[in-house]
Amino acid sequence: MTSMQIKFSSAVPAAATNLSASKAKLAARNLGFYYGDFQALKDINLEVPDKRVTALIGPSGCGKSTLLRIFNRIYSIYPKMRAEGEVILDGENILDKSYSLNKLRSKIGMVFQKPVPFPMSIYNNVAYGIGHYEKLPRAEMDVRVEEALTQAALWDEVKDKLNQSALGLSGGQQQRLCIARAIALKPEVLLFDEPTSALDPIATGKIEQLIAELKQHFTILIVTHNMQQAARCSDFTAFMYLGELVEHGVTGTIFTKPTKQQTEDYITGRFG
Amino acid sequence: MASVAERIYLRRRIVNGISLALSGAATVFGLFWLVWILWTTVSKGIDAFGLHLFTQMTPPPGEVSGGLANALFGSLLMSLLAIAMATPIGIAAGTYLAEYANHRKLGETIRFINDILLSAPSIVLGLFVYTLVVEPLGGFSGWSGAIALGFIVLPVVVRTTDEMLRLVPGTMREAALSLGVPQWKVNVQVLYRAALPGIVTGVLLALARISGETAPLLFTALNNQYWSTDLTEPMASIPVVIFQFAMSPYEYWNSLAWAGAFIVTIFVLITSLAARAILLRNKMSND
Repeated sequence: MTSMQIKFSSAVPAAATNLSASKAKLAARNLGFYYGDFQALKDINLEVPDKRVTALIGPSGCGKSTLLRIFNRIYSIYPKMRAEGEVILDGENILDKSYSLNKLRSKIGMVFQKPVPFPMSIYNNVAYGIGHYEKLPRAEMDVRVEEALTQAALWDEVKDKLNQSALGLSGGQQQRLCIARAIALKPEVLLFDEPTSALDPIATGKIEQLIAELKQHFTILIVTHNMQQAARCSDFTAFMYLGELVEHGVTGTIFTKPTKQQTEDYITGRFG
Repeated sequence: MASVAERIYLRRRIVNGISLALSGAATVFGLFWLVWILWTTVSKGIDAFGLHLFTQMTPPPGEVSGGLANALFGSLLMSLLAIAMATPIGIAAGTYLAEYANHRKLGETIRFINDILLSAPSIVLGLFVYTLVVEPLGGFSGWSGAIALGFIVLPVVVRTTDEMLRLVPGTMREAALSLGVPQWKVNVQVLYRAALPGIVTGVLLALARISGETAPLLFTALNNQYWSTDLTEPMASIPVVIFQFAMSPYEYWNSLAWAGAFIVTIFVLITSLAARAILLRNKMSND
């Protein structure tokens, strides 16, 4: 059906080849979202499997970034945006007003499209978030910063210039720093919003490799416009169109034997 | 075909030449007056320049010795007080506009009113402080002068803080907030850091502006012929001394006025250069 040469993530364990068999870490239930009067998401039901990479794909404006931004309630800083329905994280509804934002954001980290290091040193970029949750003595903080930077595959490149401004790093390094900053809080879920769309192919490759390693420790949800990227680094793929979740399944199946016509049209490049 | 293309190309070159000549002439016309003004200020100012300007008081009419020490001190004190009073309020208000009231009706309204205040004639502000402070307190004072200057600084700081914060990419806010850091900490620890060079530049430019303001001081601090550090008494300032001395029939007073103008010009020049240097350095470290 498709002539695209797609290399699938080889890391999908046999047990996870079935979506319903895997344990859900995060789940959207009857989730709707409004920008003022405009309904951007309609009745989304999505289960995000634990310690796997789930890719959200779909044409521009289909609501995939909107969906991602509900999971850490970052949308709530803007007026006139509202979500209805439920998002369940470990059995609790995070959309509930009583669910603490502090707790939510310590459990769910986010990496954005453009790398946005804070205007401070490399060290402080990573230490900044940790310092908000834990008051650590310097030596322990050093360990945590090194751990995060190592996990983000950046330590060797920056270990001799930790006190230099993070703004001096290359785009790819800045993005890995942003990943280090997010994982330094030891979250359980990582949200990636098109993390490589501002990067060159080499930096993109490093980030994708990193994502493959990070899924041992984190549940990962990645929004991408790049279908090869979804195929390369995700275990599960959800296809969205016009604010609805059209199809969700094992990445290999979605890309080779989609059940819905819309999915097949999108994947084969007929629209989008 | 080729000849049509050549004709069009020739026409374009002619039009280009004419526009270049016209805009060049306009630039020269503008610069001519500017250089003349600067040249007059510098040449007349340097003639009257000397260490005595900084050590001696403004002389009484007719005397041919004396300096500007009391006026320089008064200007410096009132300007710095104005900056010290208006900057924190301005930064807080600018932060409110950019971070809390952005895209809201209230915010837009305040921003609009602030812009009106920004372009309000300084004499109006002087009159305002006159009725608000000078009259109730029963006399001219250094404090009221500083307050009047503060009212000029305030909208400038509000505007620059607001603009500089809004220039900080929204994703930086989101990135900081998504770490779970509360909004006020994000403002102070991340956004101010990103906007700081711009805000400092705005404050410096405001300082440059008030160092030459005369009208608001005429109504508030008035003038003082003697050395005074008492802010509850009338206080001398360079612009008011220039105004008084330049209009007088005494030659020595006139030359002191030029010296004052020269000092203010140099001060404004240095402040503006410092402001540019800060912006430039920041731009380079970001590139």
